Amino acid sequence: MKKTKIFVIMLLVAALFAGLVACSDKKTTKTEAPTTKATEAPATDAPATTAAPEPTEAPTEAPAAALTGAIHVYSRDASSGTRGAFEELVGFEGELTDDAIVTDSNGDMAAKVGADQYAIGYVSLTTDFAANNIKAVSYEGVEPTQENVLNETYTLARPFNYVTRAAGDFGNDKKEQLVKAFIAFLTESAEGANAISSAGGIVDAAGKKPWAELKADHPIVDEDNSGIELVTVGSTSVEKAIRAALETFQPMAGNFTFKMSHAGSGEGPAGTVGAEKDSAKKGDIGFTSRPFKDTEDVSQSMSNGTFCLDAVVICAQLDNPIENLNKDTVAAIFKGEVANWEDIK
Amino acid sequence: MDRKEKKTIQAKLDSFHSRKLWQDKIMKRIFQGSALLAALMIFFISYFVISRGIQPFLSSYGDEQQSLIAFISGNRWRPDIAPPVFGVGFIIINTLLTSLGAAVLSFPISVLTALFIAKIAPPKLRAVLTTIVELLAAIPSIVYGVFAAGTITGLVKDVGDIFGINTYGGNSMFAVIILLAIMIFPTITSLSVVAISAVDRSLELGSIALGASQMETNFKVVLTSAKSGIFAGLALGLGRAFGEATAVSMVAGNRMIGPTWNPFDITRTLTSTILSGMHETSPGLDYDMRFSVGIILLLVILATNFMIQVIKRKVGGVTHE
Repeated sequence: MKKTKIFVIMLLVAALFAGLVACSDKKTTKTEAPTTKATEAPATDAPATTAAPEPTEAPTEAPAAALTGAIHVYSRDASSGTRGAFEELVGFEGELTDDAIVTDSNGDMAAKVGADQYAIGYVSLTTDFAANNIKAVSYEGVEPTQENVLNETYTLARPFNYVTRAAGDFGNDKKEQLVKAFIAFLTESAEGANAISSAGGIVDAAGKKPWAELKADHPIVDEDNSGIELVTVGSTSVEKAIRAALETFQPMAGNFTFKMSHAGSGEGPAGTVGAEKDSAKKGDIGFTSRPFKDTEDVSQSMSNGTFCLDAVVICAQLDNPIENLNKDTVAAIFKGEVANWEDIK
Repeated sequence: MDRKEKKTIQAKLDSFHSRKLWQDKIMKRIFQGSALLAALMIFFISYFVISRGIQPFLSSYGDEQQSLIAFISGNRWRPDIAPPVFGVGFIIINTLLTSLGAAVLSFPISVLTALFIAKIAPPKLRAVLTTIVELLAAIPSIVYGVFAAGTITGLVKDVGDIFGINTYGGNSMFAVIILLAIMIFPTITSLSVVAISAVDRSLELGSIALGASQMETNFKVVLTSAKSGIFAGLALGLGRAFGEATAVSMVAGNRMIGPTWNPFDITRTLTSTILSGMHETSPGLDYDMRFSVGIILLLVILATNFMIQVIKRKVGGVTHE
């Protein structure tokens, strides 16, 4: 009895390994030709387009008329920052259709859209498109690339801005110097750019200097700053990027402490140079996930500007003939007003 | 051996016995303690979930207070819009549909497998099959989830394509049902095997002596005698189906309205609702409502177990417990 049991277990383990070997074989063939998976399901004679999504015009035009049927709208859950940015930028906040599918994460979204020919969804620009069998859809005729985001032609993007208190208004000279040092780290150093992009922000890495070089202008970072607490206020969307930057900067700058109390973009300028700069909501550095408004006068701040950009990319399955979408169409699709692929002009 | 010596031996024996008795008492207390701890655990969990889950329906919750009736009868779950809409009614129906669907698919196969393993298979094959079922039960749910997301959804998609149904990449109620059916199969089977093996041999022999064939005996005597254990297996299996969150979330698609009747359409279960966006939520209404859904889930499981007890009493003629 016991021997048979051991024998069966060995047999199953062997089967498992055989399966693994078989699967890994499949995977290598898949990376060679990513479209094989897609071709076997709908039996369309899609050409062997491998990595590049649109090398030939004619074959991609042909199925354009072919894709008919209900649009499957994929969304993220309510607490997602990507979703917040997408809904805000396209302008349909709180109006997402009831028929949308809710996915758990950026990766989940990419995988599910990649498996559904009728899907439309959105992911961050850093997603691996080819591996998930999805393609990036242009927005307002502009392809979503890092360059287009940085030169501001791709409009499904938003700036992450910072604004500090006015010079001499930090209540403590050391703190003012430390804030200055942090802003230099955030906007000029390669380490800062690294931390921000690891948290999903888009920064132009060109022209960034190593911190060791910039450090010379900020002697404060060599002191023990454990008694100083920096307070950041403003947009919740920037929180991840700023936390990454602060945590990287902390050990480089005398182990200062920081407190992040982010509640919304409006609080950024208000809590540093605006009406609430002396209230309980005050902060040393404020952040917005949008351009500063005309009503927000940031001219008296010690420094202000954009430290990175955030972009959302509309995606569809690789086989989907859709190439470009306009703002109104996107809003209509996600609100459920346009329900079928054939209705998209 | 004089009397003195006898006395010392007696004393030694007495001390030995009293020590043993004393050890017994200590062990008894330890067992009692662990039983109490286990019982308290259930009490604590229920208390925590319920006290948290009823908060949103009390007037002390302030502006965001929810209506209990709207919560239970609602057919829309939109925590993302302002003001949020929490309607759990359609999710209860979806959960019942998927879990009972899985049970309908899995129960007959499980019981027949168990009957084969316990009564019909030759000993060698029995050992092999028992091991396979045990191993199936040991596979973690996340692995089932990966399998479902990679394989079952593809299968459902292909089936949908055959019927010309435009599926959501295979994410569907049907995929959830197949997944759950596979997941609860080992639970029902192994408990049924135990129950069937425990049926008194004399009952079986009596049936054969009266002229019944082996198959008639298996179905009419053995299965009905083992029904208590088999239904216990069903109850446990359904418990697993209702409670499975990770794997189900990976293929359910989380529809925000419902209920879902079309098996090729996406669905949303109570567990996937609790899990969805859990890692990014912060304490507040959205967080507390997950506990409210948890209470509903507990109630659904209790109600189903009660129903199974009722069905058990109706099925089969042999009262042998």
